[in-house]
Parts: sequence; C-alpha cells; structure tokens
Amino acid sequence: MGRVLLVGRLAVRDLRRRPTETALLLLAIMAATTTLTLGLVLRDAAGDPYVSTREATSGPDVVAGVGRLAQLPGLEDLARGDGVAGHSGPYPVAPAKLEASGRVSDVQAVGRDAATASVDQPEVTQGSWVGDGGVVVEAAFATALGVRVGDPVTLDGRSFRVVGVAVTAAMAPYPGTSCLVAVGCMSGAVSGDIAAGLPPGLLHNPGLVWLTQADVRSLTSDPGSLSYVMNLKLTHPDEARAFVGANPPAGRDAPRLTAWQDILEDATEVAGDSQILLLIGAWLLGLLAVATLSVLVGGRMADQTRRVGLLKAVGGTPSLVAAVLLAEYVLVAVVAAAAGLAVGSVTAPSLTESSAGLVGGAGTPSMTVSTAGVVTAVALAVAVVATVVPAVRAARSSTVKALADSPRPPRRVGWLIAISARLPVPLLLALRVAARRPRRVVLAVAGVAITVSGIYVVLVLNAFLSTQPLAGGYDAAQVELLRQVLLVWMVILLCLAAVNAVVITWATVLDNRRSSALARALGATPGEVSTALAAAQVLPALAGALLGAFPGGFALFAALNAITGGDGDRATLPSLWQLLTVVLATVLVVAALTAVPARLGGRRPVTEAL
Amino acid sequence: MSNAADTSVLRARGLRKDYGRGEGLVRAVDGVDLDVGPGETVAVMGPSGCGKSTLLHLLGGLDRPSGGEVVLNGRRIDDIGEKALARMRRTAVGFVFQAFHLMEELTALENVELSALLAGRSPRAARRRAEELLDQVGLAGRARFLPSALSGGQRQRVAVARALSNEPLVVLADEPTGNLDSAATLDVLHLFESLHESGQTLVIVTHDTRIAATADRLISMRDGAFVDETRLTGGTTGRLGALAGLED
Amino acid sequence: MQQEVVLAMLAKEPSHGYQLRARLRDALGPLGDAMNAGQVYVTLARLERAGLLAVSEEGADRSDRKVYALTPKGQQRVAEWIAEVAWPRPDLAEFHLKLIAAAAAGLADPLTIVDTQRRELLRRLRDAQRAAMAEPDRSDAALLLEGIVLRLQADLRWLEACEKNWTPRRSGS
Repeated sequence: MGRVLLVGRLAVRDLRRRPTETALLLLAIMAATTTLTLGLVLRDAAGDPYVSTREATSGPDVVAGVGRLAQLPGLEDLARGDGVAGHSGPYPVAPAKLEASGRVSDVQAVGRDAATASVDQPEVTQGSWVGDGGVVVEAAFATALGVRVGDPVTLDGRSFRVVGVAVTAAMAPYPGTSCLVAVGCMSGAVSGDIAAGLPPGLLHNPGLVWLTQADVRSLTSDPGSLSYVMNLKLTHPDEARAFVGANPPAGRDAPRLTAWQDILEDATEVAGDSQILLLIGAWLLGLLAVATLSVLVGGRMADQTRRVGLLKAVGGTPSLVAAVLLAEYVLVAVVAAAAGLAVGSVTAPSLTESSAGLVGGAGTPSMTVSTAGVVTAVALAVAVVATVVPAVRAARSSTVKALADSPRPPRRVGWLIAISARLPVPLLLALRVAARRPRRVVLAVAGVAITVSGIYVVLVLNAFLSTQPLAGGYDAAQVELLRQVLLVWMVILLCLAAVNAVVITWATVLDNRRSSALARALGATPGEVSTALAAAQVLPALAGALLGAFPGGFALFAALNAITGGDGDRATLPSLWQLLTVVLATVLVVAALTAVPARLGGRRPVTEAL
Repeated sequence: MSNAADTSVLRARGLRKDYGRGEGLVRAVDGVDLDVGPGETVAVMGPSGCGKSTLLHLLGGLDRPSGGEVVLNGRRIDDIGEKALARMRRTAVGFVFQAFHLMEELTALENVELSALLAGRSPRAARRRAEELLDQVGLAGRARFLPSALSGGQRQRVAVARALSNEPLVVLADEPTGNLDSAATLDVLHLFESLHESGQTLVIVTHDTRIAATADRLISMRDGAFVDETRLTGGTTGRLGALAGLED
Repeated sequence: MQQEVVLAMLAKEPSHGYQLRARLRDALGPLGDAMNAGQVYVTLARLERAGLLAVSEEGADRSDRKVYALTPKGQQRVAEWIAEVAWPRPDLAEFHLKLIAAAAAGLADPLTIVDTQRRELLRRLRDAQRAAMAEPDRSDAALLLEGIVLRLQADLRWLEACEKNWTPRRSGS
C-alpha cells in the first residue's frame, strides 16, 4: 500500500510541478478522444434508428410498385409468389402539390386504410392515423416543411388538415424519398433552363404523405393514372436482395422492387457521411495529438532522466521508476479519456438530431460499453507509448549517468550550417535553431500539413454543400448537420494545431535559451533573435502549409472519395487564390502564435541565461 | 586613476547596480569609477559574490546599470537602446566566459566565425579571419573539431579567438580560467600574455591570482566597491632568488 | 647557498668549478643569474677544508683548472642529506602576530597591512609568472618557478582569509 501511495504521490507531484505541460498533454489527448467518441457514437447512431423503426412499423422486406392501374395484376402475382409470408396493399399513389402556410412542395400521396396494416403500419409520432379529410405527413418532410398537427394544408387545391406525423421503414426519410409515381421524380437543385426541358408533371424532391384511399382517388380525375405500391413480408427477410434479383423487371409492366437493405442504406446515408467525416477528423486529430505528445514527451525526457537517476540513487528499483512514469501518463490519459467521452456524448445528439424521419433518431445516441472501452484503450495506449522509452531507458541507464544528465545534445547538420552562413543574420540564426532539432522540425511540418489538408477538405465539402445543397439528396437540415460536423472537427483541429504550434515554439525557446543569450552577447539584437526564433517556426509552417495544400489536401480528399464511394467530379476543388489565402493565413497565424513566446525568449536578459 | 579620462577606452563613473527593493535591496555594484587606457590589462579581483561579474556585464552592455555611466570609446552606452547596444557589442567588445559558451553543434572554426557573421561580414571574409585567429591561438589543426572533442583549455582558446573576431576595442573576460586545471590555465595565461603584448585592451574579472598577476593594474573589489588598487608594472626582478630560498 | 647542495651537484662525477656553475644555472634558470660566482668558490673552499671534497689540479694553477671530487666522507654526507625530510618553514606566525598586534594597539589597520602585503606578493607573483612563461616547457627551471608561483598563490589565499577575518562585519553581508 505504501508503495502505491509513494508512486501516486511522486506522479501527482511531478504533474503539478509543470501545470502548463500537464494541461497541454491533457488537451492533446482529450481532443483525440473526443473526436473518436463522436465517430464511434455516430456509427452506432446511424444504424440503430432504422432498425428500431423497422421493428416498430413491421417494416416491409421488399417494397413493390407499379406505375398504373393496368399493371396491378403483376403486383397480385408477386404477393402470391414463393417466399412471400405476407403483404399489405396494393395502395394507390398519386402525385400532388402540397401547399402549407405559403410553402409549396411536390408530394406523393399514398392512400391507406384507416385500419392497421400487418406490414408497414407507419408509426405515428404525433397526432393520429389517416381519416377522411385528414393527412398524415412523413416526419422528416414535416420537419423540413415546418408543418405541425392541426395545420391546414391543400393538396392540388383541395383542403385537408394535418392529423398526424409518422415514420416508416418502407421509404428513406425526406429527401431520400424513393419514387412511386409514374410521372417520375427528380432530386437536387434545378436551374431554370433545365427545368424548362423537363417533362411536365415531373415531381421535384417529393415528400411523402398518407391519406385515405378515397381521398387519394379524389385527387385525380383518371383512376387509370394512379400508381400502386405494395409492401411484402418475406419468409427469409435476409434474402430480400436475392428475392429482388429473382424477380427482375421484365418489361414496362412488371413491378419495380426495392429490398429493405437498400432502403436502410438510403436512410442512413447522412449519418454515415457524418461518421466518415468524423472518423477522418479523428485520424487527423490523432496524428496531430501524436505530434504534440512527441514534442512534449521529448522535451520532458531530459528532465525525466534526471528524476530517474535521483529515484535510483535513493534506492528505487527500475520497476518503481517505470511505475512512477507510467502512473503519471496513465493519470493524464484516464482524465483525458473521461473528458473526451463526456464531451463526445454531450455533443453527439446535436449531430444526430435531424434523423427525425426515423423512430429513436431524435433520442440521445447510446454510449455503449464498447465505445467507452475503445476510447479509454486508445488514451491508455498513448500513455504507455509515451512511457515506454523513458521507462526502458531508466531500467537500463546507469544511475551515475542519469544523474550527470547531459541534456539531449543538439544535432549538427553541417550543410545547413554552411548554407546559413550566407544568409542575413535572422535567417542564419533561424536555420541553425531549426537544424539543432531536425525531428522537431519534421513534427512541426507534419502538424501544419495535417491541419492544412483538413482545411482543404473542409473547403471542398463546404463549397459542395453550398453550391449543390440537394445534389447528394441532402435537405437543408441535413446540410446544416454536415456543416455542424465539419465545424466541430474543424474547431478541434484548429485548437489542437494551435496548441501544437505553441508547444513546439515554447520547447524551441527553452531549448535555445542559452544559445540565444550567447548570440546576443556576441552582438545579435533582441529583434534579430526574436525574429530568428519565430522564423524557425514559420519556415516549417510555410513548408507544411504548401505540402498540406498539395499534395496533402488533394490526397486526403481523394481518400475521402475512395472511402465514401462518392464521385469527386461534382466537387469544386479550391481555387488557387483560396489555397494561397490558406497558406498565407496559416503562416500569419503561426507567426502570431509563435511571436509571443519568441519575443519573450528573445528579450530575456542575457546575463540571466548565461 | 592615472589615465586621463579622455584617452581611456573604457570609463565608468559612479556605476551602480541594484537587485531587489526595500529590505531585500542588494547593491551588487556600488559606485564604481574605472578608467581603462588603450592597451592596458586590468584585473578585478574579489571574493565570489562581490559583484565583479555584474560589473563586467555592465561594462560590456550585457546588463543595464541602475545608476552612473559607462563610456566606451568616448560614447555613453548606459542609456542607448537594446539594438544600438547589440551593435556596439558586435564591434567594440569581445566576451570570454568562464563556461566557454561555445555552440555545441558548431565546429571550432564555425564558432569563431559566428561573431563575424553576426557583425555582417561576408562569409568568405569571416571564414578567413576565423582561420587566422585559430592559427593565432594555436588551434589551426583542430578547426574542424566540435567543442566536445576539445579539452577545456582548447575550448577556452576557441572562445578567445571568437572574442577577437571583430577586432574589439576591449576584451572582457569573466573568470577565463575558472573551469580549467593548472596546465590549461597556463595555456590561457600564455594567450592573454600575448594579447597584452600585441596591445589588446583587456579587462579580466577573476579570483585566480595567477591570471590577475598578468595585469598591469589590479583592483580589489569588496561588496560591490573598489577597495584597493595595485600597479603591478615596475617589478622586483632580482629578488626571485629569495623566493626560491637561494638568498638569505 | 647550502653546502650540501654544492656537494650533491658533484656526486655524479668530479667536475671543474665552471662545470658546476653551468649545471646550477641550468637547474635554476633565471634564478641562477643572480648567483654570485664567488659564492660557489667560497663554498667549495669550505667543503675542501672540511674534508668533504678532494681537489686535483690539472694544467695551470688557475682556480678554474681545479677538479673537485667527493671524498668518502663527502659521499656519506650527501647520502644523509638526500634522506633528510626537512622542509623550509613558512613564516606565517610573524605576519599573523603583526596583524594582531597592530589591531590591538591601534598601530595600523590590519586590512591596510593585508593589502600592502598582497600588493607585494602580487608583484612577486607577476615576476615569477613572467619568468616561468619565458622558460621553455618542461625545463627544470620552469618547474622551480612553478613551485614559486604555487607557493605565492597559497600565501595570497591565506591573505584572503586574513582579509575576511579582519573585515568588520558590514550590514547585510
């Protein structure tokens, strides 16, 4: 017990001795764990609501539709076919224009019985089910259109009242709606001249409403023009796709079939996209966090070596020494994991809210044990990785050597020193500052490159979302959601990148305290030294920004496309001036971030450091 | 002070440096007057903590006095800006430190040429001058060695060469033999002696009586103030025998 | 000049007086310059009278032609001298008592005495050092001068201690 207490006390003392470093360490691990949590939570959130909706509504395994009355026999044949365990419908479907409080939208109106169907009975989330003169609106469509129970609406000029809002598993939520009507549908934004060339009556981003069968029939003068839809329950739901494949649309009159798995994919498309964004964000943040940690841990190493020597000198065994080091980082990692999980689960609902078209979609995404486990494990892994090198070193090093503690000697990069001799004084000093710690420069370049790659992708996606909001089948709310996701990880990414830049500069300033003072004793002005310290950060930042813009961002976007299966053709790549702005802004921001520590480092009295 | 003030290279009047305030006020340097003539070697001796290093920092413009004035080559330097001070240091003053303060990652040659580069000399001229100086301090053969491969005495000689790089008006040395054993001390003594002979103005702060004895003038410092001054020139030659027990 | 030193310098081989003087000059360097030639001959004559040296004449009757050699008695004396552990006594007590007396009787400020003494020692140090630096490395004379320098340094350090002890306590230090 005493040993545990001792280890704990030593660990806590050391952490408290350097509060800034501990805070930065915590922040870096936390950023990664938060993003990871969001990514994992959203993965669960994406699949769950559809499954629960399917259960709540006795969702169909296959949805079959025909374009006109004359083709109805085809549906009836299907219902009697092998492997079909049950069905509902066929129900009539009519295209219509819905007008609600001044807003107009195309809809597909499905005529249903007031009685409960055995297959696909939409779950009413507000109000009641259909009755004469009463219309039930699909939940996501209701949200998008802003209609509520009790609102008056007109369908092709005839007055109805909204009696309910419901969700279904037979169709993806608005605007992922599949087309049931013979006139056809199209989604996405349409400009005027294209619209002129389209066949008349074509539905544009139609929503879904349910009426009584009588009300649907009353919407059209020609009963023969009604389309029909039927929901099938199979004996083997898992084989829905095979069933669809076995009944290919033979000619114009045959029914068109859709398996539930395909509907699931449509329904979860947005959540899936957000999840991919978040996971990519988590990757970027993870890389940045590793860069930050390496600098922090590397900077502490010399100090740690000395502590290890002291501990060993007073009788600590190598394992005790390792335990103290491990305890320190584990402590930080556990706190960071807990904070990351908390922040992640608090933020997650705001990113999943708009899957309102499904049951349970609006609820809090569940925090599963496995998510918590994965996040904690990752944080601990980081802690262990950070500890391994000093711990092994501690076990192996001789006590005397550790006590002598020569700090990590600076590297000599001969050619860089030779080149720098030809440059003006601030650049001469800057290059030599950089050359002393090449590994740190690589980390700085990598950090900035990662950040700029992230910004590049955000630029592409943002441009895509603002110019073609409905192209991907996203409605305004979903675009908003994706924007939020982008914003969340952009903010975290920038924060971590800033922390990274400050950490690296500070480490550099501390490392160069002696040599800066010496340069000044030899006649370098404080301005030259400050400029040199800042330039030693800005030059790598410039390199990193250029690398991040190309090929970094481009490669990341390509990877994103490959993973999501999206086609990059529709995306507008950032223009040259945008990239130049990003590079310039990055350099300016890094310069600003590094200016303060560099200035502090450059002005400190010479005699103090020597 | 036998030197007329107008001919002195370095002059201080009423120089004062305080640390802390109120009860904890410490006068590290307390009203020092000093004149160093051209070509003169002046040693300042005193127990550790008497303020001699602080005095040297004030004289070289590394630190600012709390009061009094410092005049280098006829120009006051206690009230000029940091930038002007830095320019003054790079041309008029050469520092030699107890801990050598060489850059570990630079070779002996690169260390020496650094101050010339900082002063804006062309890389070629700086290189040539550095080679010359290393030759002068007897380290031409070690020009490409890193400091870690040099002995203490050799490192200090590199540091002296660096201090001479810009042909300073005055070389200020702070305990130049403080970290050296007696053989290395002798090395540095020889070097300072030859500097003295070549007419270099030198101010050495030390508590090593050996290096202090090479000076023309020796000043004793106690509690921040000068308490005694000895002119060492005009010797006692001929009486050395007595010191060795050869005469009665 | 101690008789035993001259005697010991002849232990290697019988020599002329001028050879002996050259040997001494090599060993003493600049310190040997101050040595009076007559002194050596006076010492040689005393040693001869004491029966410690035997003299054989060579050539003319000038004193330079004399060759000096150790007698058995002389050899025994050299062996005894080599084995002796005597060491010159540093004369610190006198200076120490001077300071005490000066302070007690108010004759002078002990610190002034210390400073004066230090000045003198520093001048000697400077001279010894100059002389040492002028000698080629590792020469016998350089070693002797190094010894003088080190002794002077020790004396100066003692003066420092005296100074500390006699400095009245000042406020704050």
